[in-house]
Parts: sequence; C-alpha cells; structure tokens
Amino acid sequence: MSRYYYYLILINMVANIIASVPAILLHSHKDGAVSAMILAIFVGTFLVTVYTRFFNAFPGRTLPELLQKTTAPWFYRPFVFFLAVMWFIAGVITLITFVFLLIRYLTPEMSINLISLTLILSVIFGCLMKTERVFYTVEIILLITIPLILFIFFKAYNNDHLEWDYVKDAALYVNKWPNIDAFSACFFLFLGVANLTIFNRFFTEKQKFGWKQIFIIAVIAMATLFTTYFIPIGFNGLENIGELVYPWISTSDSLRMEYFIIERVLFVFLLFYLGIAFLSILIHWHASMEFLKFVFNLEKIKYKGKKFGKFIPVPFFIGISLILVQLLNEYRLFLYTHYFYNALIVIFPSMCFLFLFIKRRMKYAEQANQK
Amino acid sequence: MFSLEAVKWINDQFKQTNELTEKTLEYEQKYMQLFYLKPLIDREMLQNSVIKPFFEMASENQFKLYLHALPQFQEATTKEQVMREIMNGSVVAVIQNEWYLLDFKLSTNDKVNNTSVETTIHGSQLALSDNLATNINVIRSYYHQPSLCVEYVVKGEVNQHKVAIIYDKEKVKNGVLDTIRERLQNVDKQVVSSTTQLNNFLNNKRLSLFPQMIMTERPDRIVYNIAGGKVILVVDGNPQAVATPAVFFDYMSTMEDNYHTLIISIFLKFLRYAGLMISILLPGLYVGVTSFSPEVFRTELALTIAGSRVGVPFSSFIEVLFMLFFMELLLEASIRLPKAISATATTVGGLILGTAVTEASLASNIMVIIVSAVAISTFVIPVNEMAFSIRVVRLLFIFVTTIFGLAGLTLGLYVLIMYLVNLDSFGEPYLQLYTSPKNRSKWERKT
Repeated sequence: MSRYYYYLILINMVANIIASVPAILLHSHKDGAVSAMILAIFVGTFLVTVYTRFFNAFPGRTLPELLQKTTAPWFYRPFVFFLAVMWFIAGVITLITFVFLLIRYLTPEMSINLISLTLILSVIFGCLMKTERVFYTVEIILLITIPLILFIFFKAYNNDHLEWDYVKDAALYVNKWPNIDAFSACFFLFLGVANLTIFNRFFTEKQKFGWKQIFIIAVIAMATLFTTYFIPIGFNGLENIGELVYPWISTSDSLRMEYFIIERVLFVFLLFYLGIAFLSILIHWHASMEFLKFVFNLEKIKYKGKKFGKFIPVPFFIGISLILVQLLNEYRLFLYTHYFYNALIVIFPSMCFLFLFIKRRMKYAEQANQK
Repeated sequence: MFSLEAVKWINDQFKQTNELTEKTLEYEQKYMQLFYLKPLIDREMLQNSVIKPFFEMASENQFKLYLHALPQFQEATTKEQVMREIMNGSVVAVIQNEWYLLDFKLSTNDKVNNTSVETTIHGSQLALSDNLATNINVIRSYYHQPSLCVEYVVKGEVNQHKVAIIYDKEKVKNGVLDTIRERLQNVDKQVVSSTTQLNNFLNNKRLSLFPQMIMTERPDRIVYNIAGGKVILVVDGNPQAVATPAVFFDYMSTMEDNYHTLIISIFLKFLRYAGLMISILLPGLYVGVTSFSPEVFRTELALTIAGSRVGVPFSSFIEVLFMLFFMELLLEASIRLPKAISATATTVGGLILGTAVTEASLASNIMVIIVSAVAISTFVIPVNEMAFSIRVVRLLFIFVTTIFGLAGLTLGLYVLIMYLVNLDSFGEPYLQLYTSPKNRSKWERKT
C-alpha cells in the first residue's frame, strides 16, 4: 500500500484522542468498554478491508464518480450531499472540540470567535487545494508532529506515576457485554478509510492489500486504542474516571519534563495536537468540499469568465461553524458527538451494500463496453 | 539582394550615431568596403586578420576564400541581421556585392569573477562572468555531454539582450521546457537586464513571495542542476544564472553539502533548518509567550523574561517590531553602503544601539538577544533569495501571533507549509517529500 493510504487511517486514529472518543469510552468504563474495544478492532479491521478492497478495484476513481455512472440522479445527488454534510460534521466536531480546549487551557482571555476563526481560516483555504497537495501537506506536518507525540506517549508509559494496577483492574471488566456507545466511539477510529471516497483519486495505481497490510492496521489500531483508554486510567485511577471532560488533557498535564524549557507537557501536547487536529479537519473538509463540487457542479459556475464556483462553500463553512461554536457547550457537544458516532455505525457498514451494487453495475458496464 | 541599396539602408539606420566607420580599401584591383562600430570591435584583430592579408594576397578570389575560412566568419542572410550583428560587434566586409560578417567583438567583461554571493570553503572559488559567451564556455567545459543544448532568445525591446536557455536534452522534462519557452515568448518588457528579473516575468503571478527560480553564480551548481534535469537561464551581461524548476529544498542546500562527509553534511543541514525555524518562529514565540500565555515556559524562565521586561514601556509586539525594524534597516543599509562605511554602520547600529536600547529600557535584554539570534540565523539560509522571503514571512508571523496568540503561531507554521506545498514552480510541486518509490517511478516514467 502507498504510505499516503496509511496517513488517512493514522490521522483518524490519532486525532480521536483529543475528540470525545476517550471521554465516551471512559464513561462506560465499568460496563463494557473493554469488550467493546476488542469487538471494534475486529469489526473495524474488517470494514477497513472491505472499503480498501472496493476502492482498490477502481484505481483513481472517487465514489461520486462511480455513483454518477451507476445510479440514478434522484439517488446520486441527495446521497452525495448527505455525504458532504457528514464529512462537514466530522470536521466541525474536531474543530469545536479543539476550540474549547484552547480556550480552557491556552488562551482563556481570548474571545471564542477569534479562536475559532484562527482554526477555520487556516484550514479553509487548504480545503480548496488539489487532493495530491493535501496529501503532501499531511505528510510534512505529520513528519513534524508525530515524533513529538510519540515522545509524549513514551514519557507517559515511562512515568513512575502510571499505576499498572489500575490498568489491570480496568482490564478485568472485559467480561461485561459490549456497550453500544463505547463500540461506536471505537468504531469511529477506523473510519479514516472512508476518506478514500474522495482521496482514492490519488491512488491511480492498483495497490497491494493483503494480510500484511491488514495486520499492520490492526496492530496500529490496537496500540492506539490501548493508549487512549488505559493510560488515563493508569494516571487517574478507575473510580470516577468517567467524570473527566478531557481525560487526555488531564493525563498529559500530569506529565513533566523536568529539564526542558517547557516544563508542562500539556502545552507541547496541545500545540502539536493542534497539528493533528488541523490535518483531521483539513482532510474531512476537503472531502466535504469535493462532494459539494459533485452535487452542485461548482466547477462550472463562472462569473465574468472567472471560475469562482469552488469558493462558494467557503462562507457557508465559516458561518455554520461559527454559529455552532456559539450554540454548543461541552456537554452538548459531547452528547451530539456520540449521537453522531452512533449513527455512523449504521451508515458505514450499510454502505458496503452500496459498494456491492456499484461493483455489479460496473462489471456489467465493462462487459457491455467490451461487446 | 545585397546591393548598394542595402549599404545605403544600413548607413541610414546608423545616421544618428557618428560611430559607424565606413572604410574603403583599394589595392591592385582588389576592392573592399568595411563597416563597423569602432568602440565594439577588437582593432588589433581586424588589423591582423583582415587588413594585412588584404594587401598581401594576390587576387580578390583568394581573399574571399580566406575570409570564408576565418573562424569568425558568419553567413549574412538579411539586412536586419547584418544591422544587429554590427551592433553586436561584427565587422561587415563587402566585396563585389558579397557580404561577409566577421565577429571581432571586443569584450572587456569576459573575466571570470570570484564567488561573492555563494561562498564556500570547499570546491571551486570561481563564479560566472558578465559575458554570455564566456559563461557558456565555462558551462560547456564543465559538462561534457553532446546532449547539452543552448538556445538563444533576444529579450528586451530596447536593449535587445541575449538570453540563453541551457539544458540537457536527455534529462530535461519537456513540459517544463515548453512552459519556459512559451512564457519567455510572452515577455514584452522594454529593458531586460538581469536574470533574476526573469523570475518575476516568468512566474505568471503578480503577487509572489517565494522565488520560483533559484539564482546561482556557481558553475558547479549549474552543472549539478543541468544534470538533475533543470533548465538554466543566463542573460548577457549578468554574472548570475537562474535554474528552474526549483523546489523548496534547493534553497536550503549548498554545493558544499555534496563535498562534505555524510555526517557533517547532515549536521550542517540540521543547523540550517534549525536556523530557518528560529528565524521564523522566535520573534512570534516571544510575543506569544510574554503577552498571551506566560505559563507555557517553566517558571524560572518565565520569571527571567518577565524580570528582563521590567521597565519596558511597550507591549511585547511593539517591542519586537521596534527592534526588528531597526535590524532590517541595518541589514538594508549595510548592503547599500560603500564597503568602507558599512563596517562602521554595523558597529554603530548593532553594538551601540543594542546596548543603549536596553539601558534606556526601550527593549528588554532578552529582546536584543532574540533579535541578534534571528539576524544570525537568517544568514544561515544559503540562498539569498530565500533569506529575503523569510524576512517577510517572519513579519507576517509576528502579526498573526499578535492577533491569535500561540495557537495562531503554530497554525501559522502549518499554513506556511500548506502554502508552500500548494505553490508550483513550472508545474512541479514546490514542497514535497521526494523519498517515495512511487514518486520515483513517476519521475522515471516522465523522463
């Protein structure tokens, strides 16, 4: 597989730490989070395999292009619009979460609009770039941030205050029946692969996707889930861990770098996770914008000979996100996010049936072409 | 076609100047007319290779054959060409309505310079010269391949400078070459006098910050770039060449990286990138940390910074802008000043101003350290053009941090990366990691 494919998956997995995933997981720490995680690894890896195999069969094609060929317009347009909205929401969740984080921990005096504008303005023009350029950006920023994030994880695992007894204690709850909320939160980690719906455009050559690749993804997923769930427990204990709003921020704030110029790991964590959040929003919104291009044929809109169609969604994106930042608070964001995650476990597996349909239609289309 | 009329036409064209010399030689039934611009030609050469033989040879036919055999001989086709060649320093000899163009140009600028912009310790210390012919001679003598091509274009409607496009036909990407030819065709400036000017004319953008062609004066770099499939542009009368398409990493490397041992060059590269980061981020970081979130640094450091700022009447960003402004003035002044004075200027500016500013507590001691650190780390960037761009970027970063705080600074860095990735240099992505085998195979397919 091309390394860019792994970036898509990796970012969704790593970015979840600052989103509501750990909070949702830890919320059900005594009723079935562990078993849900184990279940999610199997189901998630299976879903990744199905999605990758499907898009691998059509190198360089995006999902909207395939739908355009195989389905009727009454289905195609509303469905792609629905996808655009979903991808927009996925980006907005990361955005709002991070805005709340920044105002809580880094710059409490700044107005919330200004903070959200910082993030929105920096991302929004990136979303208009070509898909390949998005990938190059992702690669370089990951190259900067990942070593530091790994260092923080290393610090966490190496810390004296990490009590493995709590971790073992938490692991004992494995015998509980999987919790649906926890499962959907874990499941979200694997949905990075769904970005292939647009980003498949970049993979113009057929990729190798066998057991080795599946194994790598499963291992990465396991490591991320383990870190996401058990490290906060190891630091904060098992009782009342479900009450923490930002479990990972509290955890990183209990780390110190005694001899470095920045003593509290929290700030390093925040500023470098800002990069991951940035990429996550960039990828989601880029996909969303591309979907919108397909729905409304934005490329064709001209004014005085200049193509400005692709800029049309920009004010909507900015406006809606600003309004949402105003409307929501942490509790509501948490609530809606987990509704969203719960909806996803229905939507994405059922898209597999759509894939089956497309595959059959394309096969017939190819046969017809050959005749 | 070359009759008396043509002679008259040429005389008419040069009516305004009194420098066109017309000489008629007649001896033993031999008859010849010479036209040339006196200041442009090598008189001794003319004397030795045309005038002397004229009087020595037995017949006119023999003399004609002799002229044909001269290495300076050039076929004359149109009268416009003849006129242009006269202006380029050729001598026109007319014998029985037959025209002979002889290149006797006297060049005083064909000495090869010493490197002054891209100095290195290892490697050649010689740069290009101001003379196009010499430059091509230098490049050809360093690059022995029959596939090396040189194309000439004349640019600048008034000053009619020669521009040479140099490339290796087997290595260059055709798309790039076509774009360059096409864009060169569209350049309709009155005066073209420098290669770096082409940077602005060829990139098809009105507002651009980052250079898209890399300026160099080193023949080894030119040869290295030609071998890498780049196109080199050289303008007559200019000791610098530009290479294109250029990517960001080109601007961060020197030729010496190839001459050192691996570990040393990795270390030097690390220094350079660290310098780049410091010069971009440090002033912004100072503003962000002192004005927005002092708790980021460890307590002792935060206290030291705050203590050093005691008595400074400005907010941190005014302090930074104030000091940076003077540093930029100093930099600019030391480029423009005559060499003899510039040393004094830097002493007065750097040392005396720096000390006095802290004593008057208009800026903190730490600020002075930061400004000098920033200035030094800007000099680490090896290609001068990039250093200039970085100076502008730094100011933008200070503004962003002033408005949005530390998060703004971090995002600013990511946006800068994104912007660079989004830039094109003649169809090539400006910033991209090139290690992937996928890209390599793509590259191989293209070439």
